[in-house]
Amino acid sequence: MELELSPIRGYIEVLVFDKEGRVVQQGRHPMRSFLNNFLKFFEAFSKSDGVSITDTGGTARTIYGSGVGYQSRLGGLAPDNDDSYGILVGSGTTPVDLTQIRLASKITHGTATGQLDYDAVSVDDLGLDTSVTPPVYRFRLCRTFKNLSTASVTITEVGIAVRTRQGGDDLRFLISRDLLPTSYTVPAGGSAAVIVTVEVEMG
Amino acid sequence: MIRVELIVEVDGKEVYRGPSKSFVRNMGIVLAGMLKNNGDAGTFKSVVVTGLDGGSTYAYVELPAPGNYSAGPLVFNAGDNDDSFGIVVGSGSAPVSPYDYNLASKIPHGTGTGQLDYDTHSTISSYGGSSSYVEISRTFVNKSGSDVVVREVGLVGCSFHSYQDIYYKFMVARDVLPNPVTVKPLASLIVRYRLSLALT
Repeated sequence: MELELSPIRGYIEVLVFDKEGRVVQQGRHPMRSFLNNFLKFFEAFSKSDGVSITDTGGTARTIYGSGVGYQSRLGGLAPDNDDSYGILVGSGTTPVDLTQIRLASKITHGTATGQLDYDAVSVDDLGLDTSVTPPVYRFRLCRTFKNLSTASVTITEVGIAVRTRQGGDDLRFLISRDLLPTSYTVPAGGSAAVIVTVEVEMG
Repeated sequence: MIRVELIVEVDGKEVYRGPSKSFVRNMGIVLAGMLKNNGDAGTFKSVVVTGLDGGSTYAYVELPAPGNYSAGPLVFNAGDNDDSFGIVVGSGSAPVSPYDYNLASKIPHGTGTGQLDYDTHSTISSYGGSSSYVEISRTFVNKSGSDVVVREVGLVGCSFHSYQDIYYKFMVARDVLPNPVTVKPLASLIVRYRLSLALT
């Protein structure tokens, strides 16, 4: 039986480093769970009237394909110390549901116990790869999380939230959430790098 | 998991349903460009894509739209009679390449021989906890006195800013149908793109 691959798919890679910078744990997992919010952006692109969507704060919003004021979509390039969008990590174990709007238990930015220091997100456009059949277009999001506390922190879930400017509103929406099949423990003084590679299958 | 389906109907009868595997390079550039943006606003942030004429053009990932002017980073919902973007159809059968930037041979809007009357777009959606979909469709009517044969389907996006009169258009998907679809005089053709999500 042929394995069915999604035309838009991704992989999550996690590397954990100890305080000396040595890799102490690593893994690569298929990204399975784009959420309804991701689809709602495509719906907004496709119609004139608005699409109802819930932001990461739990507030119902309406997004449009176009409008007056500032317009941006799907921004993922979160700056240093900003845990409101970009790649987010959490310690929750609630099963994924497509309607989810936030991680089950986000690990917040900070230096206290149970927190991680969020670095800036980087996004690399890796371009078209025609060496594989069918060809794919790849891009990669990467973020490092430092554990500056005195206790270890365990990562069990990974999400991507995006920033959208619409008119005067500055909004955040979770577009993917994945429970990791393996938990990753970031030791005190250590760090974790989370790399999400997205592939768009080409004709 | 994300699935993309292409559905074609003639006079209400489904004549093709299958996976659309034919995003082209522009789609990757636009998605990557949007995510590579911090979502802030105030300038025209863009990525370079290939326009419908094969030259470089822009897809905006961020636009300011002052006053009563409007802007959209990426829209598909072209209006009635507008064959310049949204779902478009053609008669060409050249194999799909990731570098495709236009249909091989677009069937233009109109009522003459070899033309189709392009309607507006419709969108339906359903969102659940384990499966969801959004579907964009467009109807084309053959108002000529001769058959029109459709062999290819495309999806063209538009980034626009009405104040600066910017309307940049670029194709993001092209599919060649496995069998030609004949649209008889006065018959209607409906083309649907369905994006669906399912938990796996």
